[in-house]
Amino acid sequence: MNDVIAEIRKDYIYNLAKRRERVDGRTFDEYRPISVQTGLIDKAEGSARVKIGNTQVMVGVKIQPGDPFPDAPDMGVIITNVELVPLASPSFEPGPPDENAIELARVVDRGVRESGAIDLSTLNLPDGKVWLVFIDVHVLDHDGNLMDAAAIGALAALINAKTPSEKYGYGENESLPIKEHPIAVTAVDIDGEIMLDPSLDEETIASTRLTVISGSQGALSGMQKSGTGTLSSEEICRIVNLATSKAKQIREQFFGDVLRG
Amino acid sequence: MKNKEIVDKNIVIPGDLLSDDPPKSGEGTYVEDGKIYSLIYGIFDDKDKIRVIPLSGKYIPSIGDVVIGLIVDISFSNWKVDISAPYEALMHISEYPRRIDSSEMSKIMRVGDLAIFKVVDVDSSMKIELALKNDQLKVLRTGRIIEVSYSKVPRVIGRAGSMINLLKSTLNINIFVGKNGRIWIDGKESDEDLAVRAIKKIEQEAHTSGLTDRMTKFLEEEKHGIHK
Amino acid sequence: MEFISNGRRIDNRLPEELRPIKFEVGVLERADGSCYVEHGGNKVIAAVYGPRGVHPRHLQEASRAIIRYRYNMASFSVEERRRPGPDRRSVEISKVSREAIDPLIMKEFYPRSTVDIFVEILQADAGTRTAGINAASVALIDAGVPMKGLISACAVGKVDDTVVLDLIKEEDNYGQADMPVAMDVRTGQITLLQMDGHLTIDEFERALELAKRGCALVAEMQREALIQKYQGEEYE
Repeated sequence: MNDVIAEIRKDYIYNLAKRRERVDGRTFDEYRPISVQTGLIDKAEGSARVKIGNTQVMVGVKIQPGDPFPDAPDMGVIITNVELVPLASPSFEPGPPDENAIELARVVDRGVRESGAIDLSTLNLPDGKVWLVFIDVHVLDHDGNLMDAAAIGALAALINAKTPSEKYGYGENESLPIKEHPIAVTAVDIDGEIMLDPSLDEETIASTRLTVISGSQGALSGMQKSGTGTLSSEEICRIVNLATSKAKQIREQFFGDVLRG
Repeated sequence: MKNKEIVDKNIVIPGDLLSDDPPKSGEGTYVEDGKIYSLIYGIFDDKDKIRVIPLSGKYIPSIGDVVIGLIVDISFSNWKVDISAPYEALMHISEYPRRIDSSEMSKIMRVGDLAIFKVVDVDSSMKIELALKNDQLKVLRTGRIIEVSYSKVPRVIGRAGSMINLLKSTLNINIFVGKNGRIWIDGKESDEDLAVRAIKKIEQEAHTSGLTDRMTKFLEEEKHGIHK
Repeated sequence: MEFISNGRRIDNRLPEELRPIKFEVGVLERADGSCYVEHGGNKVIAAVYGPRGVHPRHLQEASRAIIRYRYNMASFSVEERRRPGPDRRSVEISKVSREAIDPLIMKEFYPRSTVDIFVEILQADAGTRTAGINAASVALIDAGVPMKGLISACAVGKVDDTVVLDLIKEEDNYGQADMPVAMDVRTGQITLLQMDGHLTIDEFERALELAKRGCALVAEMQREALIQKYQGEEYE
């Protein structure tokens, strides 16, 4: 019953879109208010809570010593998981990660990995072990655009994290060496109009979604098209440009101090 | 300068002791050992019977309720309707005033349509049957729909319709409030926008007193803002 | 290890003292009711959906609602990262927690439906199940589910042969007994009781009395948080 949207509601959103307006009064390239709070979970080595509008995710980073992959003996390991827990939405059911949870996790992971945000070769430990870095995204409230919230949260939690070296006898606790700040920006296509940071209704109505992850030099480290609609290459380029400039703004606003620090 | 409106209504929670006069037990309360207790989170009211007016909760239909329903599916002989209740409601093909064939059903009301219905039966297992109000098909094709908690509907309507009439007269809109918390508004877009904001404000402040006066003031100020 | 010296516990509390507790009501947008609790180092969030339709249909009951409770720990909530998903401990906790709350819900009002309660532990610090029950009870009320009353919970135990209230992690792990209790404070009816360890009957009776006092304190805080949600506001 949650899946059917009233036609007049869809019409309302389409009509507004044609006039370059949105239900909550935002412009097409405007995000809902974003808030990032770090260090809320002491048990985790790093943590961040991100809100984009009413969407809320909690990301915990746990770092533990472990065995490397046999084909990369001196590289640390990153493992990313997303839990779409049922408390976050009437449509989430208990159980192992479904295709949506897995897609979210893999895209966030790609952003962190391909951007070179963490140099895995610096995560090796003296005794042949390496640091295993677990990024666990726990979605608390789904009001659209979980992807960007999860990606920002992962980055903030990684920056907040300190290796638990003292606990395991590897010396002093240290921050992770974060070399890049990948930011994900998601756009949806509603009847040919492109808008960023889709609200829940916009996401449900849109036929297509495109997430673009870019780094501080504007280079792309991840992309994901989602949904059953199609995009022209011109639309894709337009989104890429929109996304990279928006990513720059978000990066400045929330990670500017870290960059300068 | 903010005026602090005192919430002079008593908020109670389940298990709160309300009275030791069992015959006066009304809705939202239960009796145990000669005392009346609250069953829900709500506002204590002892004007007549002792009752608790809910602050939240799900809409449970009663026979006679007029609601706005959303068609979510069509089976061989029923339209399946979401009326914002924990239960799906059905309108049988025979409730349509003209004899029609099963294949014509989606031409009359299709999935995604919103329409006004009357609840004609609710049985003990919560099977809900709907019919058209006054045997008239009223599909809402224009305007906007907003949803509020059913528990706030009495406030949106107001005593003897005072609040809803205030909205109608200040803004030039058509408005229909379903018992299930679905509200339909139709008018000029700027008036619709203001109506939506006004209704959300009523929903937020439903538990306070002096709301009608505050809403009158709010609408005056906002309306003048529009015409600047 | 010495748990009590000069009458004080390792975190400086008296034997009958609760850790600091904070309740926030209505913290989520999508859920019908919700509550966030901080209890000592525990960080717990509970959400309620319902009454709503039951899927798959065969689980529904013709004359009343079913109650479902899912206790889940986030991977990052504990010292060693935990694999996501239910383990045997979570399944047991979900069951006893559901049974702690079920007796007070007016299920007959909602045949053929379910009331779903979800508790997520974001950070664990001993006493997660009782914190979860406290949060769930408030979330149910926030959702407007009709109930006979509040359920309040706390854990008592024994360390250094002394009965203590609200065990901290070290007391839970290395103490002599651990006993979580939940009750309807108004009637004194107990709805959750588990015990793990060693208690004489006399110690048990004292522990139960202490638990009742602890639950009564929790009930006041739960009630206060619910009232404050609507009375702490200014309107212009």
